[in-house]
Amino acid sequence: MKLNIEGLLVYFPYDYIYPEQYSYMLELKRTLDAKGHGVLEMPSGTGKTISLLSLIIAYQRAFPLEVTKLIYCSRTVPEIEKVIEELRKLMEFYSKETGESNNFLALALSSRKNLCIHPEVSSLRFGKEVDGKCHSLTASYIRAQRHSNPNLPVCRFYEEFDAVGRQVPLPPGVYNLDDLKDFGRRKGWCPYYLARYSILHANIVVYSYHYLLDPKIADLVSKELAKKSVVVFDEAHNIDNVCIDSMSVNITRRTLDRCQNNVDTLQNTIHKIKETDAAKLREEYRRLVEGLKEANVARETDIYLANPVLPDEILQEAVPGTIRTAEHFVGFLRRFLEYLKSRLRVQHVVQESAPQFLKDIFDKVCIDRKPLRFCAERLQSLLRTLEIADIADFSAVTLISNFATLVSTYSQGFTIIIEPFEDRTPTIANPVLHFSCMDPSIAIKPVFQRFQSVIITSGTLSPLDIYPRILDFRPVTMASFTMTLARTCLCPLIVGRGNDQVALSSKFETREDFAVIRNYGNLLLEMSAIVPDGIVAFFTSYVYMENIVASWYEQGILENIQRNKLIFIETQDAAETSMALEKYQEACENGRGAILLSVARGKVSEGIDFVHHFGRAVIMFGVPYVYTQSRILKARLEYLRDQFQIRENDFLTFDAMRHAAQCVGRAIRGKTDYGLMIFADKRYARADKRGKLPRWIQEHINDGSLNLTVDEAVQLAKHFLRQMAQPFRQEDQLGLSLLTLEQLQSEEMLQKITQIAHQT
Amino acid sequence: MDEEPERAKRWEGGYERTWEVLKEDESGSLKATVEEILFQSKRKRVIESHEQVRLGMMRHLYVVIDCSRSMEDQDLKPNRLTSTLKLMEAFVDEYFDQNPISQVCLHRNPKKHIAALKKAVDTVCVGEPSLYNSLNQALQSLKHMPGHTSREILIILSSLTTCDPANIYELIKTLKSLKVRVSVIGLSAEVRVCTVLTRETGGLYHVILDESHFKELLMMHVKPPPASSSSECSLIRMGFPQHTVAALTDQDAKPSFSMSHLDSSSGPGLSLGGYFCPQCHAKYTELPVECKVCGLTLVSAPHLARSFHHLFPLQAFVESPLEELQGDRYCQACQGELKDKSIFTCTSCHSVFCVECDVFIHDTLHCCPCCIHSQVTPL
Repeated sequence: MKLNIEGLLVYFPYDYIYPEQYSYMLELKRTLDAKGHGVLEMPSGTGKTISLLSLIIAYQRAFPLEVTKLIYCSRTVPEIEKVIEELRKLMEFYSKETGESNNFLALALSSRKNLCIHPEVSSLRFGKEVDGKCHSLTASYIRAQRHSNPNLPVCRFYEEFDAVGRQVPLPPGVYNLDDLKDFGRRKGWCPYYLARYSILHANIVVYSYHYLLDPKIADLVSKELAKKSVVVFDEAHNIDNVCIDSMSVNITRRTLDRCQNNVDTLQNTIHKIKETDAAKLREEYRRLVEGLKEANVARETDIYLANPVLPDEILQEAVPGTIRTAEHFVGFLRRFLEYLKSRLRVQHVVQESAPQFLKDIFDKVCIDRKPLRFCAERLQSLLRTLEIADIADFSAVTLISNFATLVSTYSQGFTIIIEPFEDRTPTIANPVLHFSCMDPSIAIKPVFQRFQSVIITSGTLSPLDIYPRILDFRPVTMASFTMTLARTCLCPLIVGRGNDQVALSSKFETREDFAVIRNYGNLLLEMSAIVPDGIVAFFTSYVYMENIVASWYEQGILENIQRNKLIFIETQDAAETSMALEKYQEACENGRGAILLSVARGKVSEGIDFVHHFGRAVIMFGVPYVYTQSRILKARLEYLRDQFQIRENDFLTFDAMRHAAQCVGRAIRGKTDYGLMIFADKRYARADKRGKLPRWIQEHINDGSLNLTVDEAVQLAKHFLRQMAQPFRQEDQLGLSLLTLEQLQSEEMLQKITQIAHQT
Repeated sequence: MDEEPERAKRWEGGYERTWEVLKEDESGSLKATVEEILFQSKRKRVIESHEQVRLGMMRHLYVVIDCSRSMEDQDLKPNRLTSTLKLMEAFVDEYFDQNPISQVCLHRNPKKHIAALKKAVDTVCVGEPSLYNSLNQALQSLKHMPGHTSREILIILSSLTTCDPANIYELIKTLKSLKVRVSVIGLSAEVRVCTVLTRETGGLYHVILDESHFKELLMMHVKPPPASSSSECSLIRMGFPQHTVAALTDQDAKPSFSMSHLDSSSGPGLSLGGYFCPQCHAKYTELPVECKVCGLTLVSAPHLARSFHHLFPLQAFVESPLEELQGDRYCQACQGELKDKSIFTCTSCHSVFCVECDVFIHDTLHCCPCCIHSQVTPL
């Protein structure tokens, strides 16, 4: 259908539209009009992706000068593929309606591992291996060497691409990863480099978060993307953690040992080169004196996305004299390494700030702040000069030099924690140096600064106002949308007591309490008898799950549950988990019924959808607080309090509730789906917890579903499941939660739609 | 389903709260609403069942009742099993009344079923059910049935789990290829495998809300399903035995055994008269039956006639308000005064009926008495 969104003609490739989609597009349009950033929360399964794509593409067509590119960031490869499929549908609709083939280019980009078509390289199992192998075939000096020695192996796909691929742009169309590979095979071009090259002129790019947020990758891939782009972060409820992870460094003894090897290799290579080709080193020296000026020019003229690792000040200076020659630099690295080794020989926990660390390093080994800052850049230059093919082997020394640059650049927002052992195994010495980023805004700042509009969206972003605060930006729109429903297909229940009136809670004091564990078991048992097909149960941590399951086993509860359903358990091993998941789905499919025991914040809670019969109920045992004794977390909380005036408790609750919402949200993946959401902890009944759930869940929690006993919850669940099993047709939704164009345009409906968006 | 009034105390939803639907009128009487409810429920079945489709007349229905642990659940009173069996008795009666030449579980005798059902009340429900095993067993019997009859399985499933020895999806394929129609009535919630099973085999899948809904769903299965166009049509040999009653005065008459009672110890053993198979003269006391000696289907003419209405269902009567009726306000069937606010008019003879007669005509008579009356009876 064709919609009119405040004067903008939007093509929407379906015959029906949900009212909230219309409302969503309305808000999105206003954000784009204002050229600002937006935070939008809309439940999953209500067609967020297609609303986003429809509107932004319509906007791009209407105002080609205002918005030139859409950068759509998603988390996983399957999600990327899903976006591309929606896009394909939309593009087909466009060409059908307008009758002309449009010249839009949309493509997905992923790592070499997913795009490589070289027969040998693509057969490697790990992404790192593929990257290393690819690099050893395509690096510029390898190819230069090949001129003198034609026997060296090369990647013919890259050669072919390099020879002709750049002159001929990718023809317009929608390309997913497989399409790119097919195209590459047909032409004999490397799909990865083709995609990387093509994103510069593509209208729509779909790729992973890391291509924008991780400074190391962003520098390679996304540096030259146009300023007038719209950036969308989908499923962005964890974006702060992604930012933090991309800026944090963990150094163990193993890293240092490998780093030592790297430095030795460097030393040897330098010796060799000196004997054969001293001119090369001199040339490098000259280049370093000139400084990093070129990069600086580019950044000033607004061509490049800023790199948070390499702040502006560095670019204006030349590399300091102490590390300018190759030998000096290697010596410098050695000293730095020895210093780190000595720091790791600790008996007790040390926590210090970056300036403290710098002062200490100056006192002990006389390393100044300035050379440290250039460490990362200097190492890159050296690796280039030495023509080392397999970059993958040098990850340890790269990590250390990144650390050096970061620690000397940022005096705020980071902390250094050295722990002699892990908390859980205090007898085993395993020293780790955490260089931990506490401020997610550092990594995302260049994105907000560079791009015209950044949209952060997800099914669970409540409370909305906290995201702008922790990411430090000012949005023009913040809105939360509810799900209009023809029937109440979600049933959140808060079970606060067992049948014997014992309060259910996972809080620390009652964690070992047998009465609580028994009642939790009882809840699962009763639910397993009345809920059909699949149940997913989430625990707060692996340790807690192990304890509870062991205890259930002793009490014979597991045996009783197994009469009703099979039990599968998520473990930390990815292969084991995916096996369990597969069998779980099989058991749901053939009617035996199954329970999946998993952990909030685990793989299952984030990426896996349990549509329809795969998840008829989700039980959340306890409130999934993050492990509060962790020093990194404590440091971060302190930082949040000092810098952003967010109280520790607020942040912890927010974090716990967003994970709880993610977990229970797994069950509802659309309007025809239905599922029970059971919160088994009495603390959920409190207003401060409940109030932080997304609005579309909160709406359905009423006084009658608070603080229930197990029996009461069972009665309610039975009733709900019978209601939901009654036949439900599309006609029942029409006019209420599903609209035709005429219905949408009615005065009454437009009035209703304005109430869907909840502004904050 | 209106959920709003239940919002306040949802946990009471498990109990029956029929009083909530009742509303007092100005004089404080409940009569009006009760009548309204009854009226609505009466009408519903009549309206639903009338579409002009060809229905299968000869049915072979296999009823499977789940007797697993979950049948002990007391959400139907007194428990699921007892309640189910009680409803099944009514179902069997109704079934044979409407489909005299059909079979349930390959037994023709309704009395036997009811006796068996009564006995089953005492069954202790244990263990897990197996959908696969029950379907397989039913299939073994049904697959030998002739192609012109319908093959149906009705499963009353209380459990939410099934322990199968093999892949059930293979069996579903087999069922589909053999044109067995499987319907399921779930007593607790929607189970995926049943959804697939019924969708693939063209059956119905329903989940009960409460006891009355359960009954309604069961009765839906009384009506024969539409005959699939692919089922073969053939002429069937049938015997119409005469009922011979030996006069008590006749001294030569000797009491004899009925063939149908030979294998069962219960029931009347010896009798004087009976139905005699026209082919082999075996004696039966009850019809319809399949002759044990020569395999001929024995029915009486009224039986056949009763099944006939499935082929030519009576058109639904048109409902109109009482005020529009001109002339005498009398029901043409029962001759009572029309008091309800709606009346029903036959589309062909334009006679007017009250709601009770409308239901009676459609459910039991299957022909409009006024139409027949107006037909010129040949002298």
